Amino acid sequence: MVLHESFLTHANSRWLKLSLLLCAIAVGLYIYHDPTAGPNGGTWLGYGLGTLGLMLILWLALLGVRKRSYSSRLGTVKGWTSAHVWLGLALIVVGTLHTGFQFGLNVHTLAWVLMMLVILSGLWGVFAYQRYPNIITDRRGALPAEDMLREIAELDRQLVLVASELGKDIHDRTLQSIARTRLGGSFWQQVRGIADQATGEGLVKRLREELNKPVIAGKPAMTATAPTNEGNATMMFVADAFVSGQQDVKQRETRRKLLDLFSRKKALVSNLNADVTRRARLTLWLYFHVPLTIALIASLLVHALAVFIYW
Amino acid sequence: MAIVGSGPAGMSAAARAAETGMTHVLLEAEPHLSNTIFRYQKGKRVMAEPTVLPLRSPIGFEEGKREAILDVWNRGVTDLKVNVRFRAEVTGISGSRGDFSIALKGGETVQARHVVMAIGVQGNLRKLGVPGEDLERVQYQLDDPDAYGSETIIVVGAGDAAIENALALAEAGNVVSIVNRRDEFSRAKDGNNSAILAAIEDEALGCYYDASPRMVEELAPGDSSGKPLRLVLDCKEGEAEIYCDRVIARLGAIPPRKFVESCGIEFPSADITSIPAVSPRYESNVEGMYIVGALAGYPLIKQAMNQGYEVIEFIAGRDVKPADEPLLEEVFRKIPFGLSVDENLDLIQQVVPVLEPLTTLQLREFLLDSKVHSPADGEEIFAFNDYTNSFYSILAGEVEVQIDPDDPSSGIRLAAGQFFGEMSLISGRRRSATVRAVGNDTLLVETPRRSMNKLLQSVDAVRQVIDQSFILRALQTQIAPGVPAEKLQSVAASTTLRHFKAGEVLFNEGDEGDALYLLRSGSVTVSRDLGGRSTPVAYVAAGNYVGEMALISDLPRMATVTAAVACDALRLEGQAFKELMAMSADVRASIEGQYKDRLVANAAAESRSRNGSMIGFLVSQGLGEATDVLLIDESLCVRCDHCEKACASTHGNVSRLNREAGPTYASLHVPTSCRHCEHPHCMKDCPPDAINRAPNGEVFINDSCIGCGNCERNCPYGVIQMGAVSQEKPKLWQWILTGVGLAPGTSVPYDKESGVPKKAVKCDMCKDLAGGPACVRACPTGAALRLSPEEFMELAADRA
Repeated sequence: MVLHESFLTHANSRWLKLSLLLCAIAVGLYIYHDPTAGPNGGTWLGYGLGTLGLMLILWLALLGVRKRSYSSRLGTVKGWTSAHVWLGLALIVVGTLHTGFQFGLNVHTLAWVLMMLVILSGLWGVFAYQRYPNIITDRRGALPAEDMLREIAELDRQLVLVASELGKDIHDRTLQSIARTRLGGSFWQQVRGIADQATGEGLVKRLREELNKPVIAGKPAMTATAPTNEGNATMMFVADAFVSGQQDVKQRETRRKLLDLFSRKKALVSNLNADVTRRARLTLWLYFHVPLTIALIASLLVHALAVFIYW
Repeated sequence: MAIVGSGPAGMSAAARAAETGMTHVLLEAEPHLSNTIFRYQKGKRVMAEPTVLPLRSPIGFEEGKREAILDVWNRGVTDLKVNVRFRAEVTGISGSRGDFSIALKGGETVQARHVVMAIGVQGNLRKLGVPGEDLERVQYQLDDPDAYGSETIIVVGAGDAAIENALALAEAGNVVSIVNRRDEFSRAKDGNNSAILAAIEDEALGCYYDASPRMVEELAPGDSSGKPLRLVLDCKEGEAEIYCDRVIARLGAIPPRKFVESCGIEFPSADITSIPAVSPRYESNVEGMYIVGALAGYPLIKQAMNQGYEVIEFIAGRDVKPADEPLLEEVFRKIPFGLSVDENLDLIQQVVPVLEPLTTLQLREFLLDSKVHSPADGEEIFAFNDYTNSFYSILAGEVEVQIDPDDPSSGIRLAAGQFFGEMSLISGRRRSATVRAVGNDTLLVETPRRSMNKLLQSVDAVRQVIDQSFILRALQTQIAPGVPAEKLQSVAASTTLRHFKAGEVLFNEGDEGDALYLLRSGSVTVSRDLGGRSTPVAYVAAGNYVGEMALISDLPRMATVTAAVACDALRLEGQAFKELMAMSADVRASIEGQYKDRLVANAAAESRSRNGSMIGFLVSQGLGEATDVLLIDESLCVRCDHCEKACASTHGNVSRLNREAGPTYASLHVPTSCRHCEHPHCMKDCPPDAINRAPNGEVFINDSCIGCGNCERNCPYGVIQMGAVSQEKPKLWQWILTGVGLAPGTSVPYDKESGVPKKAVKCDMCKDLAGGPACVRACPTGAALRLSPEEFMELAADRA
């Protein structure tokens, strides 16, 4: 029993076989056909291939309509996609033979070039669809994007909570870092990948340094919030030092906690941004494929009009 | 005639007595009528259930506010010139028919020829029964919820009173949680049931399910919690501590037994909730002393009022048919013997032993919901693998139960008095046999799942009979086919019914094999310790058994069996099992065949432990109880979400699946989408019974959904949501060409302003669309597939 099966091999590779057959017939006819003026778009074969090509292009473009006609019972979208890919590739042969290899700097060749670009971008799409789904799954880790977002929000909450125990300065800078966290971005930023920034680099560095400072008995390593004990009587000094020593241990613990939260958040944010980037790259080709298709159809209209009016 | 108690029953009786000119006195301890209703909280909406039952009383009653109802009653009593004595508390009744003397507090005595006892049970409230139950801040009544406004209050109980108190207190601005001993509010009236579920859903109040109080403790003033009380709950997950201002326990009331017994009335059992038995004319064992209303087991106002009317008619020697008579006549229309309703009821109780423990009134109620069928010879009642779940009792004639669908000769005959259909009723699974009528004289009573479940919950004796019979039939159909029932009796007698919670272990690998478990409902996973790691190797669903391997081989348990979901299992002791094996060669062969299959499966699992992990993963995702599940191959999925869009587009712009959510294992992704469980959790507690199973197994919600959110809460897989379908139809071409309007497949978010109520929405597997599920048809790359259990277990094996 066939379970999950790619659109490329849909229904026993039916559309691959059909496309190969179509190409074979086109090539066969092209070789057999030997027009006096040399092969060109104006012979019966030329017109035939041209008409077939045009119909194919219009039909291929209809995939965008079919896949959104959710109640349609006209085949499955998978079948359509399979046919779209293989018949689209067959267009290389059909379209090129239609030209009779007469290229020039004109609107007709422009249509051919656009067609080739559409097909190339489509091939890129097939490639992207083979490559990225696995990468996204493998590298995303266990959490779905939605959960990662939730987790980040939760970490932010804890960051603020922990930072508030460490004085105004650290608290403010933590808030700043949270405000500067960037996820996603515009499509192009997504595709390029957002540089990991604003996960509190400066603050993290400072916290690390402070933690690395050696602790001298009773002396707090940080002075921002630790009480001073200058000018006290010896007794008081000892008691104070004892208290502040304890406080110091507690403060170091809190700092360590904050650092830990920052590094967890950083890992999550970069993981999520990388995921977003991979997803953007999965669909990037469409940003070429679709506009190029529209341009192709427009140029084909011009090509056909030009041929019928001026030929 | 003396009527004791002026609640709905007593008042209605007195009113009828006054109307017909009987000498009467209505004795009421309080200075007002109907103390129970009088003490209902202000503004309480009083229901008039059962709705199908007509009211028969000189005094009016319909659903409405407490105040309006009391008003109607007071006016009725005044208009009919009922002789009421307020502040007349009865302390004792003695004497017999024609000569009763009723002692009142204060020493006065009233003489009467007949006594109608209508004292209800509310005078005797049930307490928490744990340390601290008598603390001042632990109360059992709530007169005015508006008296509290900013307290943290815990309401204990799951009945109507508890629900109404909790809702009103939350409305008044208190922080309220309700503590429910069980996991549903099915004991409450439908209206309250949906109201409380909606409130929990909206987080207007909190709820502890499966929780019961262990103790209440008063805290010293200035306690760090800032609260005066600490309540400790035993919950499923462990102990919970709640600090609160007040505990209000509404646990119902128990009959004031001492007083009633002092009047000479006997109780049938020592159980504190037991009520005195009465004749169909409401007469107790003391001749001339009648009991109506809640004390007779009928706590509903309308029933009580009807009984009050009827008891006067009986005492006056007038025969009166109960109010549900015409409805029952309609039910019995197909019974051809020309009998009256009473005769039919007698007949049913005589013929069908399982219904014998019911009181006449319970039987009437039970039958009101039932249907009588008279199938023709050979007519199919239901077929093997059907997804129906009603219960049938045979009133006359015979049916044939064909256990093996391929072998028409594998039938067992069931005769009048027996019942069938309980297997699917209990397990919630497809019918395990085909049943056909034999001859043209067959008469069947079909009872819907809900009424039957209610009966099973309220009458222990019925439950026991059904359980016993279930054991016997399960042995007969699943372990020892072909062995006559008589031979199985002793084995059945030693078989016990065990309940396992999800995650509970039936037995561990290495244990001594002492018993076999036949799964009655739920399912289990079988796992083995492979290289120090517990690896699931198989999944076993209800209707099958586990644990036979150790019994056959006399070796220790070869695997650990854990309940995947809550399970009921029949435990067959090792000795009894061996007797069974010795009984017939066929049984032995079939069990040994199963044993060999499992040995092979275990060995195979050992060699492919990844397959084991895949099974473990699928089962942990609830696929073990699935009949059809959407699985996405993430190596093919291009995350286009056309599956979701197709779902939204074909289902009123609300998608019932969330592709992204859900876990992934080895590229196989289980999105949040309905699994169409064999034993649907969502169906468990649907007040309007709106969730049904289509003949092909699709679990769907029909239009009668009231939006209570019960199913959403009950679904362990989070695949049901509350939403409103919209009629909006996105225009595809307009959107493509101009970009104006909704894109096809957009999920339209719920619009609060629209006033359209939210209802539960879930996958219906596109049962009304030709060509199968839209999600799968819309997948451009072949990543999305809907699979049956056999198919995805095969997929698990393929991927190993």
